[in-house]
Formats: sequence, structure tokens, C-alpha cells
Amino acid sequence: MADEVKEAMTATTSTAPIPSAVDPSVARRRRQVRVIVASTILILVLLLPLYRSMDAYNYVLQVGVSIFTWIALASSWNILGGYTGYISLGHNVFYGVGGYFSALLLIHFGLSPFLTAPLAGVVALSLGLLAGLVTFRTQGPAFIISTIALLFIVLVWFDTWSLTGGSNGLSLPVPPFPREWLRAPFYYAMLAAALVAVWLGHRVQHSKFGLALRAIGSDQVKAEVAGLNTRRFKMLAFALSAFIPGAVGAIFAYSISYVRPTIFFLIAIGAQMVLMAIIGGRGTVAGPVIGAALVILLNEASLTYLGATELNLAVTGALLVVVLLFFPGGIVGSLRERGKLPAFLDWD
Amino acid sequence: MSQFLQVVILGVLLGGVYALMASGLTLLFGVMRVVNIAHAAFIVLGAFFTFFLWESIGLDPLLGMLVALPVFFVFGALLYRILFPRLEGSPRFSEMTVLLTFGLAFMAEGLMAYFFTGIFRQTAPSYQVDAFRFGSFFVPAAQFYALLGSMVLLVALWAFINFTHTGYGIRATMQNRTAAQIVGVDVRRVSIISFGVGMALAGAAGALVSFLFPFFPARHWQWIAILLSLIVLGGLGSLKGAVVGALTLAVVSSLVSQYTSPVWSPMVFYGALFLILLVRPQGLFGKQGRI
Repeated sequence: MADEVKEAMTATTSTAPIPSAVDPSVARRRRQVRVIVASTILILVLLLPLYRSMDAYNYVLQVGVSIFTWIALASSWNILGGYTGYISLGHNVFYGVGGYFSALLLIHFGLSPFLTAPLAGVVALSLGLLAGLVTFRTQGPAFIISTIALLFIVLVWFDTWSLTGGSNGLSLPVPPFPREWLRAPFYYAMLAAALVAVWLGHRVQHSKFGLALRAIGSDQVKAEVAGLNTRRFKMLAFALSAFIPGAVGAIFAYSISYVRPTIFFLIAIGAQMVLMAIIGGRGTVAGPVIGAALVILLNEASLTYLGATELNLAVTGALLVVVLLFFPGGIVGSLRERGKLPAFLDWD
Repeated sequence: MSQFLQVVILGVLLGGVYALMASGLTLLFGVMRVVNIAHAAFIVLGAFFTFFLWESIGLDPLLGMLVALPVFFVFGALLYRILFPRLEGSPRFSEMTVLLTFGLAFMAEGLMAYFFTGIFRQTAPSYQVDAFRFGSFFVPAAQFYALLGSMVLLVALWAFINFTHTGYGIRATMQNRTAAQIVGVDVRRVSIISFGVGMALAGAAGALVSFLFPFFPARHWQWIAILLSLIVLGGLGSLKGAVVGALTLAVVSSLVSQYTSPVWSPMVFYGALFLILLVRPQGLFGKQGRI
């Protein structure tokens, strides 16, 4: 079965070179570069919170937390949107539901969100399966529309639900960490979430499961003819891509000490995930990582130097338009197409 | 009973305007499989356009609508000419257009918020507070004129599509793009004109909206979600479907708002969308396999 899928793949997609076609010694050297660069970055990132004497310590850590958060979210979105081409514009639903779930457990039972985050992921995953039952009855534009509708349903629901404090939301107890180390636990927790998300993406990319998803992405009818149960694979992909956002939402809610519908369920939040994955490169492992880091740093820079959030929104939109029109493969895809992809970005 | 009928009347008045707001959206999908997420943002732009005409030279919004039509037609045609040819031939054209117009929506919202600020605005022509009485029922004059304007434009659109040479081309392209090309329809030209018409309809709808609802740049998300649900209900690409969907959902949501609570009325649209996807994914008047 997998062979047939592979055939269908090579027949329909052209951009990705087949790994086995590359000279083995070159491949080995590229792998070494990749591992060295990645572990260097990882060690630096791990040690960063210990460098307390740096300027604007808390700000730097906060930017780090943001970057990890969005790496985790964009990478998760990529599992569904990048490989199968089913674009979810309401993926922040899972992020928010996870956040609310852990917040409620903290308020009512005193359970730390660091412990309940995986559980929040499971709740988000279940919601993903449930939503998938309806949304996967459609494809293409109607699927996208149904994900927007899901987002608005959840927004109205949380805006009115007394358990979640309606539109005012809920305040959470302040984390019991010493003041000078307040940011560090969140930094490491989000880093862990980002690493798990990227690892998951890498696993998907190099598995038969990922191959099946890409087959669905390039031609669903052919994939079905090849004997794939496309519905099952899509449901699995949707559930998997909902899990990490749920867990990340739990940690994020704890880090800002309150939850409110407008910090989770705005369409701009879901759009951000899509934007990052597309700018970096859909359907690649490194793409969402690059995209998330770039967009967050750009946002921070424009907030510092331009100040206007309205223009920020316009620039975000313009960026999406330009990338779609001129670099549909994103940074990673476009570099690969020109044969200029540096080894440390080549995780596919 | 009389209260029930009154709510239905108000729902129909609202639905007539929703139908105009949705007509451009469904036309674009029907002709070229473009899902224009920015449609409602351009409606807001149309509202601002009318608002500034009204504020600066005192032009009535209903006359402003007539000015908005050609201006937005040209704007739409140019926008299509600049942006969309690059996407043609992409294997996932519809999805790409969703993402592209999603980006456009953010651009439009951000620029409007920057230049016009985010405060609530509304044009206030003299008839805005008037009402006609029919026996025990009343009809707000603004809603009535808006419905009238919407009906005139929808009939004009229907006539344009059914009785003009360009309209034949549009319908042929709707039925089968490749076949239309084979029989000599200039599909590129039809697409540009359709996009212009869609945008003109958005501008005109914006003119009506400007005195019906308070508007601000970020309002368009709420509207696009409503418009998308009613064109999915009616069947993507079907003009008749958009009108029927708009009237049905507007009436139901008015009733829900009246008899339960106003917060649940938007839920009608999104709930209907989910329900229709469950039982009949192609919508009421959509063709099987069209989505």
C-alpha cells in the first residue's frame, strides 16, 4: 500500500527531492551540520535564563516564551494544514479550550497547569475529533468556512457561559514562584512544548502516516483509489494537531494569570498560526519554526519602533499576500526550489 | 401573534440587506471559485466611503450607493487584475484565494483602523429614525429603503446575468470554466468583470449598512462569518440560494433574539452552517460535488 502511495506522491509532487537520490556522503555531511547547528542553538536557548545580568532580562525571556509558544502552535497547525492541505482558520479554538480547562482545574482544585497541560491537550484532541466529524464532511473552501464557524460558535459559547466567567473571563492565582525566577518556569515549559511539537512534526514527516497525509494533500481521490482510508487519516491529523495547542493554551493562561474569550478566540490568533506556517514553508519541519521566530521578532520590532498595532495588522496581511503570490512555498520551500536550502534547515 | 409577525417583518427587512451583502460573495464563488474572505471588509470600506461623502458634501447614503457602484467596480477589477492572475493554474486555487483574501481582509482592516480610527460610525439621514405604520405593525423607514435598494440591485444583477451578452459568459463560466473557454468565452475578461461586479455589490451594501448599523473596521469578521454561513446554507455559488438563505436565517435569528436572548442570535448562523454541513453539505441549491 505504501509503495502505491509513494508512486502517487512522486507522480504528483515535484518540489521535494527524493531523499535516496542524494549522494550518501553529502547526505551524511548535511546531517552532521544539522545536528551540530541544532544542538548549539538548543544549548544556548537552554542556558539563556541563567544569564541574569543581561539587559531587559524579563523582556528577553518573555519574547522567548512567545517564540516557543508560536513555534508549538504553528508546527501543530502544519500537521493538518501543511501536509493534507486542509486549512483550519479556527485552530485557536483548541488553544483556548485547553487554556480554559487547566484554568478551571487550577481555580477549583488547585492543580498546577504544568501538571494538567497534557490533560488539556487531551481535551483539545477530543474536541478536534468531535469537530472533525462535521468539518470533514466537506473539503476545500467549505472546510475552511466550517472551521471559521467553529471558532465563532466557541466564541459565543464562552462569551455567555457562566462557568467560564462570560466575556469577563477568569482570574487565576499568581504562580508561586520566587519573583526573580517568575518567567523561567514558563520559558522552559514552552520550550518543552515547542520541542515536542517540532519532534512530532518530524515524526510525521518521516512516517507512513505523514506520507499518507501528503498523498491526501496532493490528490485525495488518488489517495483513496490507492486504498487509503482518507477520512481516518484526516481525523487523526486533526486530533494530533489539536493536542499541542491545548497544552500550550494551558501554560499560556497560567503565565498571564487570566483567561478571557478575546485573548484566545479572536480570528487573528488563528490567522497568526497560518501565517507563520505559510511564511516559513507549509509541509516542512523547519518552516513553522522559522516563520514563528520571524513573525514574533518582526512584531516586537514594529511595536517598539512603529508603535501602531493597526499598522501591524496591515503589515501582517500584506506579508501573507506577498508570500502567497511570490513565494508560495514559504522560506524553506522557496530556498529548496532554488537548491539553496542550508543544511541546518533541511529536516524533511 | 402580532408580536411574532412583527419580528418576522423585521427579520425579512434585515434578510433583504443580508442578501445583497452576500450576493457578491456567492457570485465570485460561482464564477471563479474565489471565496472572498475580505468581502465584508470591503463592505465596511463601502460604508466608510458613503460616510465620508455624507459628512463632507451631505450626500444621502442612498445616492452615495450609486456613486459607490462604479468606484468599487473599478477598484475590484483592478484588484483582480493585479492579484489573481498569479494564482490561476495553482492546483488548490480555491484554498489559495481564501488565504489571499484573508490577508487582504487584514490589510483592509488595519489600514482602515489606522486612517479612520476604530470608533463607531453611522450615517444619519433624516429617514433614519422614521417609521411607517401598517395597522398594528411598524416598519422602520431606514430598513424599508435599504430593502428597496437591495431589491433593485438584486433584480438588476439577475437581469444582468440572465439577459446580457456578458451575463451569458458569466453563466457559462459558472457552469464549466473549460467548456466556456472552448466555445469562445473570454474567461479572463469575465472574471475581471465579475470581480468588479462583486466588489460594486460590496460597496453598495456598505452604503446601506452605513445607516443601518454602527460600523467600525473590525466589525467585518462578524459579518463575514454570517455571510459565509448563509451562502453555505443556500449553496455556494447560487444566487437564489444566497437570497433564500439570507431571508431564512435572518428571520430565524430575529425570532431567537426576541424569544430567548440577543446573544444567541449569531449562534443561529453558525449552528445552521454546521447543521447544513452534516445533512446536506452542498447546501439548499448547490450542485452535488460542487464544494
